[in-house]
Amino acid sequence: MKMILTIIFRLTVSCLIAGTIMGTTFVFTNKAKKANEHAREEKVMYALLGYGAGQEPDEGTALHEIFRYIVADGDSQSIGYLLPAGHHGEEAGFVFVQLSLEGDFVSKTAIPLSEEKAREQGDRDNAVQTALGSSQIARFVDQVMVVTEDGSRQAYLLSGKFPGYKTNISIILALDPAYSIIGFEVMEHEEDPGLGAEIEQDYFKNQFKHKPLEKIKQLQVVKEPLPDEYYNALEGKLELAAAEQIMLQYSDNDIYAITGSTISSDAVTSGIRGMTKKFAYRLDTLEKVLEAQQIGVPF
Amino acid sequence: MATDKSSLQLVANGILKENPIFKLALSMCPAVGISTTVINGLMLGTAVLFVQVFSSVTISLLKNFIHPRIRIPTYTLTIATWVTVIDLSLAAYFPAAYAKMGIFVKIIVAFAIITMRLEMFACKEPVKSSFWDGLGMGLGFMVGMVVIGFVRELLGSGAILGYDVLGFKPLLFFILPSAGFFVVGLMMGFFNWIETYYAERKKR
Repeated sequence: MKMILTIIFRLTVSCLIAGTIMGTTFVFTNKAKKANEHAREEKVMYALLGYGAGQEPDEGTALHEIFRYIVADGDSQSIGYLLPAGHHGEEAGFVFVQLSLEGDFVSKTAIPLSEEKAREQGDRDNAVQTALGSSQIARFVDQVMVVTEDGSRQAYLLSGKFPGYKTNISIILALDPAYSIIGFEVMEHEEDPGLGAEIEQDYFKNQFKHKPLEKIKQLQVVKEPLPDEYYNALEGKLELAAAEQIMLQYSDNDIYAITGSTISSDAVTSGIRGMTKKFAYRLDTLEKVLEAQQIGVPF
Repeated sequence: MATDKSSLQLVANGILKENPIFKLALSMCPAVGISTTVINGLMLGTAVLFVQVFSSVTISLLKNFIHPRIRIPTYTLTIATWVTVIDLSLAAYFPAAYAKMGIFVKIIVAFAIITMRLEMFACKEPVKSSFWDGLGMGLGFMVGMVVIGFVRELLGSGAILGYDVLGFKPLLFFILPSAGFFVVGLMMGFFNWIETYYAERKKR
């Protein structure tokens, strides 16, 4: 009996020491890691929009963020969008627009919030909650970015997460105003190197480029070998004009699965399909309401 | 039971006489899988060096506290702790290297060489010699990885440290995992040959 207790005691103490060391390291490194991730995210976003390394975006380019909340009021639920208010060029804080699940307008609340504060989740959630009062509970779901150049829309940037073969795959997806895919970048994944990890490669990623919304809605993967000319075009091994030609030729095709990684390929394809479809639906609904209620937004 | 070897002897022992890869043939999986370039070998070698030294010192410090019947879980816990610390630090301060190495750093938890050194050496010896032994073993592993990486990078992609030195790729085969076995085997033979050569010469 005494032996059992000694063993338990000593193992517990060892675990506690180990836990303390790991926890301390985590606290110290987490901030630096977050900053790294943020820097990378920004870089990826600009790269998706076509700005190379070190290249500054044009002066007229602006990013507007739309934050989506789910608001619970007793048993009923509604969707809330936190939008920057005012037409292009005006600074008018934020507005919180609530829609019912069917997409009808419910209410509109002005929220005094600066852009910097809106980026901090804690501050933002507090501001929304205060404006709504205590009877309703708002829960943050996701955010999208609308990129405008001199007031006209250039692109949408969506970050999303979906289950891959092993853990979640998180990506940033860029769509143009007609919801065709500009491109996407894998931010985080734990697929097998040499197999599922090939989703990061150009020959897979670029297959999604320029696919129109109608095609995305029923995008599938096919288990067929990738044609050589298409592969060369996707990998950027051909001249630009020739590559464009081939890309155009295949733009109506489904996605060629990565050999040996059908599940990963399928996960990315259906993830992107879901993200695009839902986003297009949500934005269309939101815009209808904004127009009907004459709520001005800068995008 | 303290070892009678000096610190220098302990370090040399890890690099030459009991080199983890070429003499003990432990942790062959990373030696074969990751050592495709000098840089990869160096980065993983450095990570292993830190984990080995920290774990050896920790176990040596705690050797009277650890219950002998449950020493294996404690070893695993110690190694896992230091691997996590190194993993988190790399992710925070060397993001570029971590993007390439991240998945392999976590595997260090299961490296045979580290557990083996804790069991054979650190749990019996004083802290100071454990430190030197850990350093020697870590350096031995690092040297092994770099040497294998050098051969494979030179023969496989015709480059050293990413710089194209040959101008052509002699044998693409050396980049592939299976070639790792060939390089390790040849190196082992080479090490043994040198050893017997010197032993013969001493006799004469």
